[in-house]
Formats: sequence, C-alpha cells, structure tokens
Amino acid sequence: MQIARTEEGSFVVSGIEPPLIDFLMAIPTAADPGENAAARERLFPAPSAEAEIREEWREYVEPGLKEWFQSASLAVQDDLRQLGQLGQLGQLHEGPTMTIAAEHVDSWLSVLNQARLALAARFDVTDADMERPVAPVLQNEREQALFQIHFYGFLQECLIKGIESEE
Amino acid sequence: MIETVPETEEKVAVDLPWNVVVHNDPVNLMSYVTMVFKRVFGYSTERATEHMLEVHHKGRSIVWTGPREKAEFYVQQLHSYLLLATLEKAA
Repeated sequence: MQIARTEEGSFVVSGIEPPLIDFLMAIPTAADPGENAAARERLFPAPSAEAEIREEWREYVEPGLKEWFQSASLAVQDDLRQLGQLGQLGQLHEGPTMTIAAEHVDSWLSVLNQARLALAARFDVTDADMERPVAPVLQNEREQALFQIHFYGFLQECLIKGIESEE
Repeated sequence: MIETVPETEEKVAVDLPWNVVVHNDPVNLMSYVTMVFKRVFGYSTERATEHMLEVHHKGRSIVWTGPREKAEFYVQQLHSYLLLATLEKAA
C-alpha cells in the first residue's frame, strides 16, 4: 500500500491489499462510541473538575463536538465508497486505489483518531499494550483492535507528514 | 482620608487567570499532538514539541494561561481534536 500527496493536497492511497480493505471500511464503525460508556467518556471527556463547568459543557459544547465528529465521519464514508466499487478482477490483483479529497483530510485525521481512541477505551488498552508488537495472527477481538489502532495511526502519520511537507 | 471601594469577590474570581492543561493518554500520536498545538495556539514547532514532550514525560502540561472565556474556547478546540484537555484556576 502506498500513500502519496498530490500537488492539490489530496492523498492517493493505492495498491491496497485486500485484507486492509476491511479495516479501512471499518473506520467509521470503529469511530462510533455507540452505547459504550468508556468510549463515550473518552471522546467527550469532562473539561473540568468543577460541576458547574461540566454541566454547561454538556449542554452547550458537546452538541457541537458531536456534530463535527459526525460530519467528519460522513466525509470519510464518502471517500471509502470508492472501495465499495470494486468489480474488476484486475483491480483486486493490483490493489484498489482510493483518493482522499484535500477538503476531507482534516475529517480523516479526526475520524482516524476517534476510531483509535474509541477502540482503546472499549478494550482498555494500556501503555504497555501500545508498546508491545501486535501479534502476527489476530486471534481475538482485542488483538484485532490493537492492529486497527496501529494501522489507523500509520494512516494518520502519513497524512500529517504530507500536510507538514506542504508547510 | 481617601476611601477605596474593595472589589467584589465575583470580579476577583473572573479576573483570576485559568490554565489550559493537556493530559497524557497512551494512544494519541506525538506528531498529532504537536500538530494540534501549532494549529490551536499558533505555536512554533519548537514550542509545540516542548509541550508535547512535557505531556508525554510528565503526564500533563499547562499549555496556556489567561482569562476564563479564552481558556474555555481553547479547551473546546483541543476537545475537537480529541486531546484530553481541562481548564483549572491558575495557582
């Protein structure tokens, strides 16, 4: 898999190996905290120990954050639809290509981070977990979540490097 | 004799500076945190990296200090980037 930034600021993700397609398609779902309390608490943490500030935050700030997170997810889903259009055998052999539009890059950074943090919260990932190598065979959901966290982190790093090379 | 009118407790509380504090978590990328500090506060790469390393090594960093309203705005911005940030009254 290669990721290259174009002059216009979009990113072309090419030669995507088939096993990685599923993990890419899973990004929006992974980013949704759903009813998981730990994931919700991590995506919407308390801003202060003071009860008055926390209450105001919940009422006035959280709705705006939710709206931004959802809007970012829609942009990512829009780009991921390119992967859902696989039909030709030739494409599968070469690995399909997906373009992240320039105006969607910040959305991708956000949703990849949402996914990483929500997965980490759901599976109670620790510092030690983050530092050890991912198992070569993903034997359970937790190992799969760790792989996703690292894979999505790799994608984030590629986008950040591309953005900073422009600055 | 000159009499001075003491400030009310409320005005004193509003005038006290507030800290914006970023807390460590094991998942956020160092490069991402540095990028966010540059974007939100306009810090140089050097200053943003210093704060990121302080978060990483010490668990937290006071990244900005000033009026409460501005501190709330910055914390909101940092939350939009999914950093663990809080505001607290400066000592």
